[in-house]
Amino acid sequence: MPKHYRPTGKKKEGNAARYMTRSQALKHLQVNLNLFRRLCIVKGIFPREPKKKIKGNHHTYYHVKDIAFLMHEPLLEKFREIKTYQKKVKKAKAKKNEELARLLLTRQPTYKLDRLIRERYPTFIDALRDLDDCLTMVHLFAVLPASDRENLEVKRVHNCRRLTHEWQAYISRSHALRKVFVSVKGIYYQAEIEGQKITWLTPHAIQQVFTNDVDFGVLLTFLEFYETLLAFINFKLYHSLNVKYPPILDSRLEALAADLYALSRYIDASSRGMAVEPKVDASFSSQSNDREESELRLAQLQHQLPSSEPGALMHLVADNNKEVEEDEETRVCKSLFKDLKFFLSREVPRESLQLVITAFGGMVSWEGEGAPFKEDDESITHHIIDKPSAGHLYLSRVYVQPQWIYDCVNARIILPTEKYLVGRIPPPHLSPFVDNEAEGYVPDYAETIKRLQAAARNEVLPLPGVGKEDLEDPQNLLYAGVMSRAEEAEAAKNKKKMAAQEKQYHEELKMEINGSKDVVAPVLAEGEGEESVPDAMQIAQEDADMPKVLMSRKKRKLYDAMKISQSRKRSGVEIIEQRKKRLNDTQPSS
Amino acid sequence: MGKRSKTSRKGKKAWRANISSEDIEDFFEKTTRDALSGGNLSAAPSEDLFHVDKSHDLPVKRKIEKHRERVLRVDSILKKNPFVQLVPSSKPKLKKSKKTIVIEDKAPKQVQKSVGDDSVMADLWGDDSKGEHESNPRKIFKNPSIISAVEIEHPGCSYNPTTESHQDMLAEAVAQEMQKVYKTELGPAPVPLTIEGDTLSEDERYFLDVDNFSEGEDNENVENEVSEAGIKLKENPFVQLKPSSNTNLKKIEDKTPRQAQKSVGDDSVMVDLLGDDIKEDLKYFLEVGNVGEGEDNKDVKIEVSEAGNNVSRKTKRVTRVELNKRCRQKALRKKETKEKAKEKILNEIDSLPNILEEIAKEDEDKQNKHLRRVIAKQEVLKIRPPRLGKYKFEAPPVQVLLTEEMTGSLRKLKACCTLARDRFKSLEKRGILVPSKQIRRF
Repeated sequence: MPKHYRPTGKKKEGNAARYMTRSQALKHLQVNLNLFRRLCIVKGIFPREPKKKIKGNHHTYYHVKDIAFLMHEPLLEKFREIKTYQKKVKKAKAKKNEELARLLLTRQPTYKLDRLIRERYPTFIDALRDLDDCLTMVHLFAVLPASDRENLEVKRVHNCRRLTHEWQAYISRSHALRKVFVSVKGIYYQAEIEGQKITWLTPHAIQQVFTNDVDFGVLLTFLEFYETLLAFINFKLYHSLNVKYPPILDSRLEALAADLYALSRYIDASSRGMAVEPKVDASFSSQSNDREESELRLAQLQHQLPSSEPGALMHLVADNNKEVEEDEETRVCKSLFKDLKFFLSREVPRESLQLVITAFGGMVSWEGEGAPFKEDDESITHHIIDKPSAGHLYLSRVYVQPQWIYDCVNARIILPTEKYLVGRIPPPHLSPFVDNEAEGYVPDYAETIKRLQAAARNEVLPLPGVGKEDLEDPQNLLYAGVMSRAEEAEAAKNKKKMAAQEKQYHEELKMEINGSKDVVAPVLAEGEGEESVPDAMQIAQEDADMPKVLMSRKKRKLYDAMKISQSRKRSGVEIIEQRKKRLNDTQPSS
Repeated sequence: MGKRSKTSRKGKKAWRANISSEDIEDFFEKTTRDALSGGNLSAAPSEDLFHVDKSHDLPVKRKIEKHRERVLRVDSILKKNPFVQLVPSSKPKLKKSKKTIVIEDKAPKQVQKSVGDDSVMADLWGDDSKGEHESNPRKIFKNPSIISAVEIEHPGCSYNPTTESHQDMLAEAVAQEMQKVYKTELGPAPVPLTIEGDTLSEDERYFLDVDNFSEGEDNENVENEVSEAGIKLKENPFVQLKPSSNTNLKKIEDKTPRQAQKSVGDDSVMVDLLGDDIKEDLKYFLEVGNVGEGEDNKDVKIEVSEAGNNVSRKTKRVTRVELNKRCRQKALRKKETKEKAKEKILNEIDSLPNILEEIAKEDEDKQNKHLRRVIAKQEVLKIRPPRLGKYKFEAPPVQVLLTEEMTGSLRKLKACCTLARDRFKSLEKRGILVPSKQIRRF
């Protein structure tokens, strides 16, 4: 007999007392598996991994405290009540008492998840922090088709669509969008709200498909919770803008599938107050339906509220204070597409571009009824098109592919449009979520964008060739010449010279592409190049010799070790470049 | 007469007759008076004495007011909208005034009820304060998984990627698929459901024929049993033979000590031979002595006797000199052992820093191993969750465009249409759901 022998069935110790399997949990709570799953999802309880799996490696373990937490949940009793009520309905139908069944269905008991949201997220910042999954799920279900087999109702799909549009309208209004990345799966967005970075994934505008290996019942339970969460967050955010929530939209624009535009108009109107009334009257006087008229009246009356409230002046002052407190990045995002007018062609993903352009301060229109302006408008600056060729061309505007907008947004500058014109293959779309300098390898186009950014900010970046000791490299001489030119342009501070500088960059790139002979020729032609050679040589020699002379032996060893690690990194980068060269050789057309 | 008249106390009878019962009679008089008049009023509190009796009025008013206080759901819904005016009910004026009074009195309650019933949206976090944090009964344990909810894909998965990053991702996707292929190839072959049969030979047919005789089966079985019994009997002598072989081994073992004993006997014979040699030597010396003169003979005899004495002494006793030598050697050995021990201790003391260095190295190695293991565990957790149920998590395939599919155009993009699977896998990866191989049937 061991010292602390306990016969089986008696008190437990250790992991056996702290964890229980799923079957034991179901017995303890006296529920079936479906209900248990729903409760776990809604309460945020998930299985855990004990250090020692007592019943075997093939079981799912839950913590005993978690199960006790579920046991004291009032929703458990509510679900049971709903179940018994549905039995009544079924009984009435079985007895062919249709009237009673209908009466019972109208009085069905319902439940709410508000308390659970407050319980799981005590503060608003906590809710924002956990919003990534919520937004992605809601955006997914806004695109899925409704089906009876999966218990996905049309009403629910519409609700998801409405919530996503409300969220996007807030993002564009507050100019909180920071990054966009278009991948094969979908379009990734990142926004920053109250210091929290929120990332979500939107599927492309194609038909999403139900698959066999996904349990949509579980996803629908998650969706139910996330819908409620997003609604409350939207409420809080809209009220921070002094806008009423839920919004009442223009039914005409809703019918024309322009929900986002209608929401934007609603926010502008409600924030401005009385100024919108005459426009609304003028534009919608032709409508004859009574229902629409009554809804319009309701909307107008609601617009009157902020100006007529006694605290309206305080709200305005608060708004002014908030505007002052905006980030520098928000200012940059607000003014990127300022004074630009965009027209979207039919085949372009409209909702995505609409969100991005309005979030960065631009004006947008599209083909179709209800758009703010038509294609004939002469003040349009950019026409977004995704065809091999455009039919009728207006000379006053630029015809660009949609990637141009995304790349401008990620670079925070307006990029030159030559490479993005219609009929061309655009340059590679880079991911803004990758830190190139940390990885050590910078693609060519990223470097080009960096130079354009520097030109926009009137800065001169350190040239990549300076670090090398290869003095005979012709690129080094080129860069030295470019520095002097850049300094001259900087002194002048003229926009024209900046444009000329951009052209120089392009010319240099072309020279590099053409080959080494062309690169050598202008160096020989220019007299300044010869003079700069000895200066560069002397500078390089001094830079190489000075630290080694002054250092002690210990520091010199350390320095050499650093050089070794740097050379390793450089060799990795060189491997990638060699691979690129090989690919370019195999595919000359690219 | 100021005093009571003294009564006689002559005997018990006389004494009992004169006991006064005045106190008892007074008490009874008081109680009857209180009962008739309604109780002792001095002890009762003033609240009981002075109150309004409304018991008769209650039921009538309650019945009437219940109907009047009820507010229709339609009215509560319409009250939400401030622009809709309530339609006044057509009732006589006297009742109107009463109704308005009642409604005004209970208006806040109705408003609260309507708010609760019709679920008007409210700001959940409007009352943010540190006090409410304390009121929260339980800190909800959050999933400690490091994996983010929305993982950003590699830049090679862009719809228009750089050539190098695209090749990287293609290589990764190909590697994953090839790993699956190798697993299936190197794994064990599945057990076949059916096996090909062989043709029957003539011998087997003979056995089949045996079964055909239904009448003879019993007899043949009996014969088989008998033959089997015979086989068993035959097997018995085989069993008996085994211990006999053991006895043979024992005999072999017995022979060896006899040979050893014989060899021991041979050694004793050698000893005897040595003795004979010594005797012959002695005889030789005696013969030599006999040949010389008479005086010489005497000297020879004396020498012979002395030689005999010497031989006996050498074998029997040890001289003092040898004993002294032995003592000196013992002392020397002791000194040597002490010196060796000292040297050993000194060597150990000298090698202490080396030992300490070795210990330090071992500790460092242990710590490094521990760190490596911890880091490896964390990295594994980044890739996939711990095993929560029957099945392990399987990562979804990488969504990469083929080289032919890359057109650089959003319109022609062949996009992923199973984003639901991606979300489901993400939930499994973070440990929120238990992975399972559930395939639905149509």
